[in-house]
Amino acid sequence: MTSHDSVKNCAVKFTAYTAKDYKSELKPIWCPGCGDYSVAAALYRALAAIGRPPHEIALISGIGCSSRLPGYTTAYGFNSLHGRALPIAQGVKMASPELLVIVAGGDGDGFSIGGGHVPHAIRRNPDLTYLVMDNQVYGLTKGQVSPTSPRGTQSHASTFGSIEEPVNPLLYALAYGANFVAQAVPADLEGMTKIIEEAIRYPGFAFVNIQSPCVTFGDPENQAKVQKARMRNLQTEGHDVTNHLRAMELAEEYGTTLYTGIFYRNPQPPPTYGGQIVDRQQMLKAKTPIEALA
Amino acid sequence: MHDLIIGMAGSGGDGIVSAGESLLSAFAQEGYFAILTKSFGSQIRGGESSCRLRVSTAPVLNPGGVLDVAVALNWEDFLRFGGGLPVNENTVVIYERKTGVEPAAIPLAGVKPAIVLSVPIEELAMKSAGILQAKNNVVLGLLTEWLGLPRESILGGIRKKFSKKGEAVLQGNERAFAAGVDYAKENPLGRDLSMDRPRSPDNDRVITDGNEMCARAALFAGCKFFGGYPITPATEIMEYLQREIWSYGGSLLQAEDEIAGIAAAVGASFAGKKAMTATSGPGFSLKTEVLGLASAAELPLVCVNVQRGGPSTGMPTKHEQADLFAAAFSAHGDTLRPILAPINAVDAFGLTVEAFNIAEQYQTPVIVLSDQEIAQGKVIVEPIDPARFNIVNRLEPTRTELGNYQRFGLTDSGISPISHPGMRGGNYLAAGIEHDERGAPTASGEMHARMNDKRLKKLDPLKQRRDLFVIEGDPDAAVGLISWGSVAGIAQEALRTARAEGLGVKLLIPKLIYPVAEEIYAEFLASVRYGLVVEQSHQGQLHRIIRMWVNVPREFRSIAKSGANLISPQEIVGLIRLLAQPAADAPLSHYCDLLNII
Repeated sequence: MTSHDSVKNCAVKFTAYTAKDYKSELKPIWCPGCGDYSVAAALYRALAAIGRPPHEIALISGIGCSSRLPGYTTAYGFNSLHGRALPIAQGVKMASPELLVIVAGGDGDGFSIGGGHVPHAIRRNPDLTYLVMDNQVYGLTKGQVSPTSPRGTQSHASTFGSIEEPVNPLLYALAYGANFVAQAVPADLEGMTKIIEEAIRYPGFAFVNIQSPCVTFGDPENQAKVQKARMRNLQTEGHDVTNHLRAMELAEEYGTTLYTGIFYRNPQPPPTYGGQIVDRQQMLKAKTPIEALA
Repeated sequence: MHDLIIGMAGSGGDGIVSAGESLLSAFAQEGYFAILTKSFGSQIRGGESSCRLRVSTAPVLNPGGVLDVAVALNWEDFLRFGGGLPVNENTVVIYERKTGVEPAAIPLAGVKPAIVLSVPIEELAMKSAGILQAKNNVVLGLLTEWLGLPRESILGGIRKKFSKKGEAVLQGNERAFAAGVDYAKENPLGRDLSMDRPRSPDNDRVITDGNEMCARAALFAGCKFFGGYPITPATEIMEYLQREIWSYGGSLLQAEDEIAGIAAAVGASFAGKKAMTATSGPGFSLKTEVLGLASAAELPLVCVNVQRGGPSTGMPTKHEQADLFAAAFSAHGDTLRPILAPINAVDAFGLTVEAFNIAEQYQTPVIVLSDQEIAQGKVIVEPIDPARFNIVNRLEPTRTELGNYQRFGLTDSGISPISHPGMRGGNYLAAGIEHDERGAPTASGEMHARMNDKRLKKLDPLKQRRDLFVIEGDPDAAVGLISWGSVAGIAQEALRTARAEGLGVKLLIPKLIYPVAEEIYAEFLASVRYGLVVEQSHQGQLHRIIRMWVNVPREFRSIAKSGANLISPQEIVGLIRLLAQPAADAPLSHYCDLLNII
């Protein structure tokens, strides 16, 4: 952390906000029973707990079902381009470091078309929270295999079953060097709210993989009820969140064991990108536009 | 002489380009104007290199055509630059004696220059300095004496350059310079090439280039964010800004790719800050989807495209004007992005400021189409007067408007006040998806039509921006030239030469290339029987675009050459001579064929 890192880590509540202050009037396009409703609900609650006014929050997304999320909040939203939420969010945060900036999107958005941006966002360590709603399918285009679909998945785009291994978002994030990596499921609304809140409060890049089932095109064997029965909470099981190697071992089980909670949380947050930028701006002598001609 | 063109070529390590730079800085000190263009082989280090220096007592319009003085350290390298270093019978040719070629047998096909001098350059360097690397200072000595240049200015430059390399190296190079001077004294040229003194000697001149001017303009205009990726020949814009932008309260991202660079800039603009990206052709292709987003979300953004030879990787270090179609049309949906094209480095400053102003005022991406020659050619110019420029900022909502805020309100002008995160009451959803006045996604055909209308209509006033067009020459002329970008300076010189001969001709230089200002073109073309667009692309892209919007005369075509092929003022003057004669009545193609003009 630098001395300029965001005030959002402050435990003090600014004003009394409730979850509904962050919910917009737009009616979601999501299917009834979609896991993303719970993600929205958890986000409203987490934001209320943090208490930043909606106009000081920017929620940036790409394209996909989950990327509709910004419109369902009262914050400033940007429903941008497929795969480009992370670089756009970094521009927002660099230009206005005082804002609370959250990035949201799906697994296709983050790990397929936008996959090239993830390692670079992580290595810069901007103070962003990245919520991936990982439903293991392309829902908005009506059910094609996604980068996290298990091998063998049959879909409109893989009649004979997919013949590729899925990516492992948790292991990617850990290997790229993310300082905060967690997983949540809509079946555990309270747990998800806490994780999102903690991710937002973490000073630096925080990654939360949310296994948010698709009720329409997803695996019927992997819906909320099944998840509720299968999920295993890392904190309940006594996982040491400062143990990076152990976190990677646990992350290896993505696709087989449904862990929820925090995999890794660097107890000594390194300097954020934005903090270092402010340091540099203050270190150099300030100039006025006319000096551009000197 | 009041105007002189020198071309030099050698192998990497011969220091030919460095000699050109020394001359440039001496000319700047003495109050001359000049353009220095450098050209290299494709190697990262070593290989052949060349430079052209055009110096004049008046501002230089373009790098010029045929050389007055050609210097070849070896013929193989010189010939590799072929069309870039054209020589004719009037050129004074100076070459390295060690090449073993007899003056009568120099390998210039079909050209017999009257003055050809073989000089023992390497021998002089070895005798005076003891090192081969001093050859370029021998050349500087020769030129100083033969061109009547001020010794002290050039020596000053040599001292500055070698002062850090130790007394021995410095003295060696000074001796090499003196050896060149002495040799030239003993061997007069046989022609007076000495430069006239500058008309108003003025030590306030600066040496710059288009990329630097573009970067400085961004800071001057209030740019607070740059996102980009290294690419030739645009990289220097990012390199300049990464040293400076922090001092102006801004920040810069060297992104993981071209898309992330422009995407971050769009994010910064959404956050309320003036933002820019810069690239060249291949990067521009990658950025086009994000440009579309900026159009749809009505976010101000400046995107500089320093054109190079294309398609694909093409010729990264060569000049071309073939990205105009891409700039105008590489977008899906009904979009329109203003395109501005500077004609020289000074113009790159003014038009970059203008690009920010238009972007902010109209909430739109604006493309600045620079080109390799403007961007990387070193020029001596007068300092820029900041009082000439206004700075425009985006229209923000009033307190009342924030009470019931409609980010995309359908106003008469099409411009609706824009808020940014942090502004209470201005909260909205920015999106590439079609939206209503409040920003909510919509699939309504009616709303889509109205939003398209808003986004296009707001740019209409640009077509009346006569200040973004230069018109020169006889208003009633039957011969009309149109030219843009760095090539415009060539057309300008052709026009002035032709008019000095008493020929009736006029020239239009659009700096706002798109949207096409139909009225301005129509007025210009009203008296024109023969219309010629002078441009550096194979298809004649500006010519085609004008045809899409303007009723052009029947005889309207382009003198278009692919990049890296010199268009010389002389060939255009030759064509004007044929067209401006009262008896001219054949189709344009007839006259072009006569002169072998494409």
